[in-house]
Amino acid sequence: MKRTTIPFGPQHPVLPEPLVLDLILEDEKVIDAIPTIGYIHRGLEALVESVEYTEFGYVVERICGICSFMHGMGYAVAMEEIMAVEVPERARWLRLIWAEMSRIHSHLLWLGLGADAFGFENLFMHCWRTREEVLDIFEKTTGGRIIFSVNRIGGVRRDISDTELAAIVTKLQQLGASFTETARIFETDPSIRHRLSGVGILSREDAHAVDAVGPMARASGIRMDTRLTGTHLYDRLDFEPVLETAGDCLARVVVRVREISQSIDLIRQAVDRMPKAEGAPIEVKVRGLPTGEVFERLEQPRGEVVYYIKANGTKYLERFRARTPTFANIPAMIKLVKGCDLADVPNIIMTIDPCISCTER
Amino acid sequence: MSFFSRSPWILHYDGSSCNGCDIEVLACLTPLYDVERFGVINTGNPKHADILLVTGSVNERNIEIVRNLYRQMPDPKVVVAVGACACSGGIFARAYNVQGGIDKVIPVDVYVPGCAARPESIIDGVVQGIAALEAKQRMTA
Amino acid sequence: MDGTAFLARVEQYHRDGWRLALINVTTVLPAASAAHGAPGAHGAHGAEAPAGEAPAGEAPAGEAAAVAALPMGGPGVFEIAWGFARDREFETIREQIEAGTTVPSISEFFGAAFLYENEIRELFGINVTGIGVDLKGQLYKTSTRVPFSHAAVKARLAALAAAPVKPS
Ligand code: SF4
Repeated sequence: MKRTTIPFGPQHPVLPEPLVLDLILEDEKVIDAIPTIGYIHRGLEALVESVEYTEFGYVVERICGICSFMHGMGYAVAMEEIMAVEVPERARWLRLIWAEMSRIHSHLLWLGLGADAFGFENLFMHCWRTREEVLDIFEKTTGGRIIFSVNRIGGVRRDISDTELAAIVTKLQQLGASFTETARIFETDPSIRHRLSGVGILSREDAHAVDAVGPMARASGIRMDTRLTGTHLYDRLDFEPVLETAGDCLARVVVRVREISQSIDLIRQAVDRMPKAEGAPIEVKVRGLPTGEVFERLEQPRGEVVYYIKANGTKYLERFRARTPTFANIPAMIKLVKGCDLADVPNIIMTIDPCISCTER
Repeated sequence: MSFFSRSPWILHYDGSSCNGCDIEVLACLTPLYDVERFGVINTGNPKHADILLVTGSVNERNIEIVRNLYRQMPDPKVVVAVGACACSGGIFARAYNVQGGIDKVIPVDVYVPGCAARPESIIDGVVQGIAALEAKQRMTA
Repeated sequence: MDGTAFLARVEQYHRDGWRLALINVTTVLPAASAAHGAPGAHGAHGAEAPAGEAPAGEAPAGEAAAVAALPMGGPGVFEIAWGFARDREFETIREQIEAGTTVPSISEFFGAAFLYENEIRELFGINVTGIGVDLKGQLYKTSTRVPFSHAAVKARLAALAAAPVKPS
C-alpha cells in the first residue's frame, strides 16, 4: 500500500504550542510517528553559567507558564535540601496550597483546550471562565496571574491571613459546586463519549513499559503519584490518587475532572490542619554558597517532575536539569498514535496534556 | 476608544515562549476579557489574518516558521510582539538557543511589555495594532 | 565503563519493577571537579555516591577557542546518571566517561529511554549505541551545535569572563 507522510504541526489548530510529528500513514492508519521538537528549545539549563543561584529561581519558573508555581517550588525545595535549610512550617503549608491551586488552574485550562479540540467550544469557554476565579485568588495572594515569583530559597515571600485562607476555601468550594455541571458533561455527554471512549487505549502494562507518569498513568490504573511519597507535607493529608482503568482518552479526561475536586478538598484539609499561626515566620535568611547535589521529585499537574541540581560551592550552579512530565509522556503518546486513525490523532495528542515548553526547556 | 473600521483577525504564533504569554493571549479570547466583542477572531490560517501576534523569542528552529507565516499574510499586515521574550528575548536573551526578539526576523509594529503580559495590555496592544493597520491601509489606498 | 556489567544492573532494575525517572548528563569541567562528592541531605538518594574525582589531564586553559572548532566536543569527562524510581525509592547508576567513548542504550529494557538518549547525543555529543528509536539528530536543532560539549561550555564561559553580565 502507498505510504504518505503528513507533517503534524508546528502550527496546527489544536495545538497551542509547536510540536511536530511526522505521521507516516498507510491509507488512514498511522503506522509510525516521528517526533521533532526544538521549536521552543531555549537552552535555559545552560543559563546556570551566567545567572546566580539566588536568581536562577526566576528562570526556573519560566520553564513553563502553566506550572510556574510548581517549578519555582521545586527549585526552592531542592536548593533548601542542598543547603540544609529548615523552612518554617507555615511556608510549607502555603506552598502546598498554592501548588494544589496550580493543579486546579492547569486542569481547567487543559479541559478547556481539550474540549475545544474535540469540538466543544462552549465548554472551552466555561472552563476558562471558571479558571479565571482561581487566577483571581492567585493574583490576590501572590500579585501575579501567571508568573508568581513567590517562592524563594528559604521560604515564601507572602503570607496569607487565616481569614483569607478560610475565604479561599469557601470560594473554591463554591467553584467546585458550580463546576459539577461542567464535570457532568465531560463524564456523561454522549457526543464526548463517542469521540473519546475507546480511543487511544493505553493498557496498564503498556503504561508501565513506557514509563508514563501523572494522569496518563493513573487513567491506565497505575497507582502512581509523587504525592503518595508524603513529601512536602502530603503525609499530613488524607490522599488517595484518582484512578481509572479504561486507559482511553475519556479516562484521561475523567481523571483530570475528578482531580479538580480532589485538589479543592486537599486545600480544605490543609487549611483545617495547618496551625493557625498568622504572622509566624514564612522564610529564613539563607546565606553562603551551596555545595552538593540533589534529586527532587514533585507531582505537577501533568505528572512527576524530576529536578537534578549540582552545586559546586560557587555562586553559579554546575548543573540544573529538569525532567518534566511531558518529556516522560511523549513515548506513551507515540505509542498511542501508532495504529490509530488519522482523525483521532488530535484527540490523542491533546489528552496527554502536552506542555512543550516544559519538554524542551 | 476609536471607531473600528474593520474587525481584525488574528494569527497567534508561539515562538519559544514559556507558555505564560500564550495562555494570557488565550485568556483574552475567553469570557472575562473576550476580545471577540471587538470583532477580533483568532484564526489558524495566515491568509485570513491581519494581525500576527507573536509570543516568545525566535530560535534556530522557529525563525523560518515566523518568516513564513508573515510572508503568507496579505498586506496590509501588522505584527504585535507580546511579552518580554517577543520584544527582546527577555529572561532568556542570553540562552544559547535564543536569538532575540521577533524584530530580528520581521518588522514589529507594537511591542507589548510584561512577563507575563497581562490580558489588559495585550488587548491594548491589539487595539494599537488596529490603529497601525488603518494607517497602513490609508497609505496603500 | 563496563558495558556488560552496566546493562546487567539496568536489567535488574527492569526486572524489579523500577521505572526510568531520568537520564542526566553533567559536563564535568576541570575547575569544578574539586567540588565533587557531598551528596545532598535527601534521604532517598542514589545507591552510589558520585564516582570520585574527575581524572586529571584536563585541557590547558586558553584552548577554548581552538577546541570550539571540533564538532563533537573535544577532551573532557561527562558524568551520566541513570535515575530509577519505584514508589518512594529513587536510585541512580553513575558512570564517568571520557568524551568520545560510546555508551550502550538501555532502550531494550526501558523503552522510554530513547528520548533521553537522542537528547544526550544531540546536546552533549555522547554517542549512544543501539537506541530503540533513532531520531538521527533531528530531535533538536540548536544554534550552537552540541551545546553542552566541553568545548561549547568552555567557549560560553570564556565569553562570559571576557564580558561579564552585571546582575540586575
Ligand atoms: S515574557 Fe515571560 S511569561 Fe512571556 S513567554 Fe517570556 S518568559 Fe514567559
